[in-house]
Amino acid sequence: MIPMSSWKIVQSSNKLKMRKLIFILVLAVSANYSFSQKYMTKTGYIRFFSSAALENIEAHNRAVMTALDMSSGEFIFKVLIKSYTFEKALMQKHFNENYMESDKFPNSEFKGKIIDIKNVNLKKDGIYQVTAEGDLTIHGVTKRVKVPGTVEVKGGKLITKAKFSVALSDYNIKVPKAVVNNIAENIDIYVDCVLEPSTK
Amino acid sequence: MKKLLKIVIILAIIGLGAAFIVYKFVYNQPHTNFEKAKAEFSLTAVDFYNEFINNKEAASAKYNGKVVEITSEVSKIESDTNIAYIVFVFSEGVFGDEGIRCDMLPDFIEDVKMLKTGDKVTVKGYCTGYNDTDVIMENCSIIK
Repeated sequence: MIPMSSWKIVQSSNKLKMRKLIFILVLAVSANYSFSQKYMTKTGYIRFFSSAALENIEAHNRAVMTALDMSSGEFIFKVLIKSYTFEKALMQKHFNENYMESDKFPNSEFKGKIIDIKNVNLKKDGIYQVTAEGDLTIHGVTKRVKVPGTVEVKGGKLITKAKFSVALSDYNIKVPKAVVNNIAENIDIYVDCVLEPSTK
Repeated sequence: MKKLLKIVIILAIIGLGAAFIVYKFVYNQPHTNFEKAKAEFSLTAVDFYNEFINNKEAASAKYNGKVVEITSEVSKIESDTNIAYIVFVFSEGVFGDEGIRCDMLPDFIEDVKMLKTGDKVTVKGYCTGYNDTDVIMENCSIIK
């Protein structure tokens, strides 16, 4: 027969054990959440460059929204056309009104999967070569594309970079004959986004 | 013969003048001064945001490419050495906070850094659209 007082002690120690267990469980679950491996930014950077006989044209945009799920490799990349800025106001006007028709098509989007995401080791800082495959929508036209790039793991952040080229004709962007020497048929696109772990 | 030469010279001068004017005021026209630009719309930030949430197409047609003035309490400030954002949060999405992000003009970066959560501000800026997460305002200035 256990004396009453020591019985209480046993009981409370059991309670303690129980609490400990719950605490560990909660920890494990929340730890799992922080490993949900979603990364994102709302201040990603994209630049394009057109090199033609008569002039070079460049535009910048630092309001790119992009999110990447490291466990599946799925990503979304969204760009507002009116957020592109040019050195010359006239070029910006023509870009929006004549070529991209940004009132009609305000967004560009690239949505798909990094097919070799397993190559990226989040636990080891370094630069990893990857390939993004998905649907690229520009000027209301969607095409399946494959884009090579790099993911750099650095201090818990992901620095994603890509350089690729798009043909204006693929996206139904017409360049008048008068300016064929001013605008390249293929535009080089540079992407540089620093993604941070998502809080959600 | 002398008369013809005179005409040619005058025409050349007119031509050069016209070319210069086109070059200066058309080809090299200045960017809009967004700090001085007059806002076409003035409303509360939440009303502005809700118009995009309720009807993205209609709100985009109405506000994209326009100078808009919005008033609300600051949700958060994001800043770095030469960049600053005033953020108004109205919703939670898959990737966290959603709302309006105001990319500030360089002259206002220091002022923005002094703002605190909850401060009431009126921000004027150039609306570039809604990316299904946030409404983006660029070239923003603080009105009051």
